[in-house]
Formats: sequence, C-alpha cells, structure tokens
Amino acid sequence: MQNNILDVKNLTKTFGEFTAVDNISFSIKEGEAVGFLGPNGSGKTTTIQMLLGITNVTSGSILYFGKDFFKHKQQCLQRINFTSAFNTLQGRISVWENLIVFASLYSIKNPKEKIMNLVNYFNSESLLNQRYWNLSAGQKTRINFIKSLLNDPELILMDEPTASLDPDVVDKTLSLIEELKDKRNLAILYTSHNMNEITRICNKVVFLDHGQIVAQDSPLSLTKRIGSARLQITFDGDKEKLENYLKEKENTYSFIKKYIVVIDTQEKDIPGIIFGISKSDIWITDIEVKKPTLEDFFLQIARGGTNVNSKN
Amino acid sequence: MKTSFYKLPEEEQMSTQRIKAIILQELYITKHSLEVIIDLFYFSVITIIVFGLVSVYLSGTNNPLSAQYILVGMILWEIIRVTQYSISVGALWNIWSRNLSNMFVAPLTLSEYMLAAMIAGLIKTGIILVIISVIAAFLFRFNILNIGIVNLLLAFVNLTIFAWSVGIIILAVIFRYGQRIQALAWGLVFLFQPLTAAFFPVSVLPEPLRLLAYVFPPTYVFEAARVALINPSVNWNTMGISFAQNIIYFLLSLWFFNYMFNKSKDIGQFAKNEG
Repeated sequence: MQNNILDVKNLTKTFGEFTAVDNISFSIKEGEAVGFLGPNGSGKTTTIQMLLGITNVTSGSILYFGKDFFKHKQQCLQRINFTSAFNTLQGRISVWENLIVFASLYSIKNPKEKIMNLVNYFNSESLLNQRYWNLSAGQKTRINFIKSLLNDPELILMDEPTASLDPDVVDKTLSLIEELKDKRNLAILYTSHNMNEITRICNKVVFLDHGQIVAQDSPLSLTKRIGSARLQITFDGDKEKLENYLKEKENTYSFIKKYIVVIDTQEKDIPGIIFGISKSDIWITDIEVKKPTLEDFFLQIARGGTNVNSKN
Repeated sequence: MKTSFYKLPEEEQMSTQRIKAIILQELYITKHSLEVIIDLFYFSVITIIVFGLVSVYLSGTNNPLSAQYILVGMILWEIIRVTQYSISVGALWNIWSRNLSNMFVAPLTLSEYMLAAMIAGLIKTGIILVIISVIAAFLFRFNILNIGIVNLLLAFVNLTIFAWSVGIIILAVIFRYGQRIQALAWGLVFLFQPLTAAFFPVSVLPEPLRLLAYVFPPTYVFEAARVALINPSVNWNTMGISFAQNIIYFLLSLWFFNYMFNKSKDIGQFAKNEG
C-alpha cells in the first residue's frame, strides 16, 4: 500500500476579507503525480506558497510524511524540493557555485560527487562554469531540475516548470519528468496551464476555482464528466435531407463546408446518429469524432460551467 | 499555523553547513559583482583618500586635531556603512535574482540566514578596515591604533552591533514592503552620520539634536575615539553605555525583523517580493 507523502486538510488562506484558498483538502501518494489546475486567481499559487512555508496559512493543516509541517518544517523541507519557471537561481554566480551553495543548504554529503552525477545525467557539464544569467531558458530549466534533485526529494513541487520554453524543450523536459517519476518513484505536484502536459504527466488532477476544489480525479475520468462530443461527418447526397433529419432529431449542428457537417451531441448518441443518417439515403464518406479533453473541462470550469458532474 | 511574533517561526536547529552556504554565496556574489566591489572597496578607498586630503589641509590650520577627528571618524564610520550594506543589500541580490524563495524553501532557518549575513558583513568590514587603515597610515601618516588597540576593538564591536541592528531593521522593512523601498538599503544609514556626530564633537550639534545624538550608541564611540586621540586610556563608562544601548537596539531589531517577516508571510508579500 502506498503511503501518503502529503496530506492537506481544510487549508484556508484569507487576505483581509478575501478568501484566496477556501477549505481545501487533498493528498499525494508515493510516486503519484498530481496536476494542480485552475484559472488565474483560483488559488493555485497561494496554495503552493503555503505548502512551501513562504506564506502563512490562516487555518488547516499540512502533513508531509505524516509529520506536521508547522512543527517539523526543517525535516519536511529536507525531503521535498521545488522548481519553477518563475524562480531562478542566483544569476551573478556560476552554475557550479549555485549548486555548491544549494548542496550545502541541503546538507548533502559528498556534494561535488552528487552534483557531478546529476550534471552528467542531465548532460550539462559544459554549463558548470557559466554564469547562471547567461544560460538560455532551456538550460536554466535543466539546472533548476538539478538543484531540485540535489537532496533526493520524495516530492517535488513544480510550478509551471515549462513556462516560456520552446515546444522542443518542453517535450524534452516532460520526458525528463516522466523518467524521473518512473525511475525514482518521485511524487510530483505539478501546476500548469497546459492541459496536454497535465494529461501526459499526472495520474490525478485537482481542479481549483475561486479558492475551492471543484473536482479531483484522474484526467480520463474528468473528461468523461463532460458527456458532450463533437461529430464531424463528410457526406455525399442531399444536404437538405440531412438538415431535415438533424432538425427532426433536435441536434445542434453547423455546416462548415457544403458537404461537411459538425454535430454537437452526447458521446453515447454518436452511433445512433450515424446509423440514422445512413438510413436517410445519405452517403457518409468520412467520420471524425472529437472527444472532450481536459482543456474542455478546464474551459467549462473557467467559464463558470455548472454541468460538470462533480464527484467531490 | 501562524506563529506568535515573539518566537522564531521555525524549529531552530542551527546548522553550521547552512550558515557556511550563505557566507559562501556572499563571497561568490562579491567576487563576481563589480557593483559590490565599487560600493564597498572602491567607495571606501576613495572616501579615505578624499578625507585624508581634507585632513592634510586642516592640519595646517589653527586646530590640527580636527584633521585627526575627520580621519578617525571616517575610518570608524566605514564599519557601520559596510556592515549595514552587507546585510541589507545581501538579501536584495537574491531578491533581484528571484532566488530568495529557493533559499527559504530549503531547510534554511531565519536564524541561520541572519547569523550568516552578520558574519559575512563582519568579514567584509574587517578586510576593508585593514585596507583603509593602511592607506591612512601610509598616505596621511594617521595610525588608527593611536586611539589604542582596546579602544579600537571596543569601537569595532559597538559599531558592528549597531550596524547589524540598522541592517536588520532595513531588511525587515524591505521584506515587508518589497523592493519599492530598496533605496533605504543604501541611503538610510547616512542619516546617522550627522546624528551620531561621526566627524565632529557632539557639542557642534544644535541642542535638540545633541540630546537625540546620545540615543544612538555610535555617538559614544565617536566621542570616546576623539578623546582617545589625546589620551588612549579606555573609557569603560562611555563604551559601556554604548554597548548597553546596542544590546537593546539589537534585541529590538531581531524582534522587529521577526514580526515583519511573519507579517510579510501573512499578507503574501514575502512570496511576491521577487515579482
């Protein structure tokens, strides 16, 4: 049975009258990657800051490895780490100097050996003597990852680690995270606005909106909560006849070309629609089904969608 | 949970390795930054040369002792300036680099950070004090040891503790209100230059300011140093008052820093400091 690395219970943060985080609870198990999603201002960043101890909480509890974070802060921080596109290392000094400083902050034994092992793993030997501020965004990301692995953490909090990176570098970074997760059984709390990244990396997604958790499930289960799907049919035959059929069945549709129609429907109704059209002497030449993605779920929440069947 | 303002917010197990890490980082930043070299070493050297030349001019006037007042005041003032600068600006380097959060999400305690900053300031001040003292001795034939080794040592201790207090208070204000008031890190300390009568006897100050001057520990040090130029015996009474005041200021500055740091974390300012 997997142990919980992080347990957050009834966490709340208020700034005066404004409630930024409202009584949220979630947990992360060993080796689990949890995506932390929500529109801007939903409380993600404030939650991460509280989890790292750089913003005080108003009420609630945070337990790392079963220990109260507020009472055992040093011990907890020794076993976790953090990386973000928005926090960088000291720009004026070299990569090597930065890593030596952080190795000492984490009380690493044999720091030089540890750094060299990680540097070799990330193919970053040539960067060691460069000043950190001279590195490209992709190189900085790699070095930030090295820093975040210095203490062999059991959990890494990643705050939009791929922000402002080129698509190629993003892909490499994600591969790296997947590899780290698998090889080291690393637990990850991952925030991003990119739904594809979350779907690729995370086993579980926590959706925040207005400081509250509105959904908490696997990416696949969340998308299934949106029953709708989009059916695109290319046909050969009488357009009017097809339109009459769709009107009769009360489908929402639009013709994007003369012989291509897009129908918004429920996923379960798709076979019936195709069968019905075929029986109306319309020759279907191509079918494309667009299933809902995590992004659709995100948009539905961000736009105040109320028909998301929440389990939480 | 919130911690009460009079207690340090974390379990405080001091680690010499983490203290060394912060001192090492200070060393690396100083080594690589032309700004630090100019603000500390260059500024100190130029200042002592300018004040040395002024003292050469004044030594030919009716009151040659005033020339020595300026030099002793200048050398001792640098202890305050350099130490305070080191503490306040040391944190700003990390805020500007967006690295301060990274450091505080490592198991670094506030006490370790503050202690390291104070030690780093002490090291830089020690080096600069030696350099400017040697310049004063060789170029202007002024030996700071003329005030007596024990007096110099007591002055160094008192001025260092005062500079720590000022540096810590400025740092607290920066952590609480953010980079918009970062100019205090360079500028505020100069307020104490006239108020503590660094280069002239306290009697020169107008009456209200004279009373105010004795609220600040360096005033006693500068007065004692000027007297020691004529009679280098130790004035324990004056130095003792300065030290007692310093202890109060230092404890108040720690309380204030802790209060402001927690306040900053309460309102989310600490995390926002890096923009």
